[in-house]
Amino acid sequence: MNILVLVKQVPDPEALIEIAASGKDLNVEPKFAVNLFDEFALEEALRIREKHGGTVKAISLGGPKAIEALRTAIAMGADEAVLIEDEAFAAGDGYNTALALSRVLKKETFDIVLTGRQAIDADRGEVPQMVAQFLGLPHVGVVVKLDISDGKAVAESSLEGAKEIVEVALPAVFTAQKGLNEPRVPLITGVMKAMKVQIPRIAVEDLGLTKDMAAPENSKTRIVRYLPPKKRPAVQIIPGEAREAAAEAVRILIDVERVI
Amino acid sequence: MDFSLTKEQKFFKDQVSRAVQRIVAPSADSIDRSDTFPRELFRELGSLGYYGIRYPAEIGGMGADCVMFTILSEELARASIGFAAIATMQCLMGTDFIHRFGTGEQKERCLFPAIRGEKIGTIAFTEPDCGSDLGGIKTRAVKNEKGYLLTGRKLWITDGDVADFVTVAATTAPEKRLGGIGFFLVEKGTPGFSVGQKIEKMSARGAATMELTFDGCQIPSDGLMGEEGKGAKYLNDILSEIRIMIAGLGLGLAKSAFVSGLRYARQREAFGRPIGTFQLIEEKIAEMEVRIRSAELLTYHAAWLKDRGSLTVKEAAMAKFYSTETACFVVDEVSRIHGAYGVAEEYPAQRYFRDGRFLLFGGGTSEILKTIIAKDTMKKCEFEIN
Repeated sequence: MNILVLVKQVPDPEALIEIAASGKDLNVEPKFAVNLFDEFALEEALRIREKHGGTVKAISLGGPKAIEALRTAIAMGADEAVLIEDEAFAAGDGYNTALALSRVLKKETFDIVLTGRQAIDADRGEVPQMVAQFLGLPHVGVVVKLDISDGKAVAESSLEGAKEIVEVALPAVFTAQKGLNEPRVPLITGVMKAMKVQIPRIAVEDLGLTKDMAAPENSKTRIVRYLPPKKRPAVQIIPGEAREAAAEAVRILIDVERVI
Repeated sequence: MDFSLTKEQKFFKDQVSRAVQRIVAPSADSIDRSDTFPRELFRELGSLGYYGIRYPAEIGGMGADCVMFTILSEELARASIGFAAIATMQCLMGTDFIHRFGTGEQKERCLFPAIRGEKIGTIAFTEPDCGSDLGGIKTRAVKNEKGYLLTGRKLWITDGDVADFVTVAATTAPEKRLGGIGFFLVEKGTPGFSVGQKIEKMSARGAATMELTFDGCQIPSDGLMGEEGKGAKYLNDILSEIRIMIAGLGLGLAKSAFVSGLRYARQREAFGRPIGTFQLIEEKIAEMEVRIRSAELLTYHAAWLKDRGSLTVKEAAMAKFYSTETACFVVDEVSRIHGAYGVAEEYPAQRYFRDGRFLLFGGGTSEILKTIIAKDTMKKCEFEIN
């Protein structure tokens, strides 16, 4: 069972993020982590390998620093990793990311592609589906349970208020949702191995692509402006006994805020 | 000159930090409050291989250098001094003698399970009447036909209540003072070995400090670690490493406390503005950061020298002295920034404040360390000091 895991390096959830003066860029504190949902994907890949044998290979597209995300994958237990190193593609849109990733995937022999349901930076959640499309493979998203047997997979997807069970022939692309598993803490020997491992890098030109494809003017989507979220209003404390305070809270929710 | 960690070291620090913050940090308060050995947590860190960090890969370790071990100490201390005291004891003092001098069987029985977190090891040299004055220990090891008969009392023994094996300092020739000391492996269940009273303490809770009694414990000949009379030398071999490790603990505690003080200074408002904008609080913040940075440089410089094979006793003493005193300074200032909340249980500031004191004596008190530093300096020519 050969499993490919698409991993993205994203700003650390605790990193300070500000909208640049131009309104078109973000200033992000240089503190990075593996995308949380990709960690679920990695963990699932390792568990499948432990059960069925095979290999786990982590693939990422990003700048030179993205190598750290792949080192984390190796520390967790991935057998191999490869980085498509290109700043322009890393800053480009999801279409180009999916295109570059799918070109690498085409050269691989695999049964399963696993990745996070979305990256927690831009939160678009569009790359896995496009990768599946480029490869002509089935895709099952937001997976919270995955069983593999006899060349097929039974995946449980989380829907709003419901679950969907999907059977699909392999190879296929799956995206991991929170709840699929609890990602492992790497063994110290894994960390040591990851520190020393040489991770191969691929240039986009090696994939038959050109840097200008990812330029803003050639992108299929363009960021026009970033807007900060609304400032949270001050906390309103409702005084009084619990029963009356609860009734008052309900009144505010219905009549004033109109949220229920 | 390059003062930065390598890319590999940064990756290691990042991974260790994430692991410790995920596994240890959530339990820091409960370890402190319950003051009980966190057995499950201890095993978990062992199963990840952390206790073997200093030992070669062939025996389940990772062969890390002193810089990496210092990184681990620092990160552990950022989460919990109580647990850091337990884990570093297991990594270094509690297991080092058996690694260097133990027989294959002893290693199979004690060291390897200890590296996996399945057994607990500790070291015992302090006695009711002697701490810094190691040459004055009264615990006797008398040679007999079966090995050695061990008799004496030890105090302030970390994890003494839960340890499966103890490396005990005893003298075979009291008149030789340091030259009479040897270290002996005593395993739990040895007749005559008993655990006495616990010293209730305010710092590093969770890592119990116990009284141990050896009442005619028969130790086999191979229970002597190395050679008779060479114990002080053997201890000296790792003493600087112990001091750097404790300097790392001080650094970790200081950083944790500093971050909590900084957060509070940014959030807490008085007279209509954050208290961090008042000059007297700014002074504290500047003073703390400068001292922490200085402690960091001294600590990692000493670790780096150790890895290059050119560490002097003085460099390690300076790192331990300055880093632990910095930790005590920082936890005090952070407590003051918190005002009355500095003693409130809902904030960790009070735990940091209490934990700082734990670092002042193990590995040499500040007073002893300053003596070492000054004696060395007095011997030097003036041009060497520039």
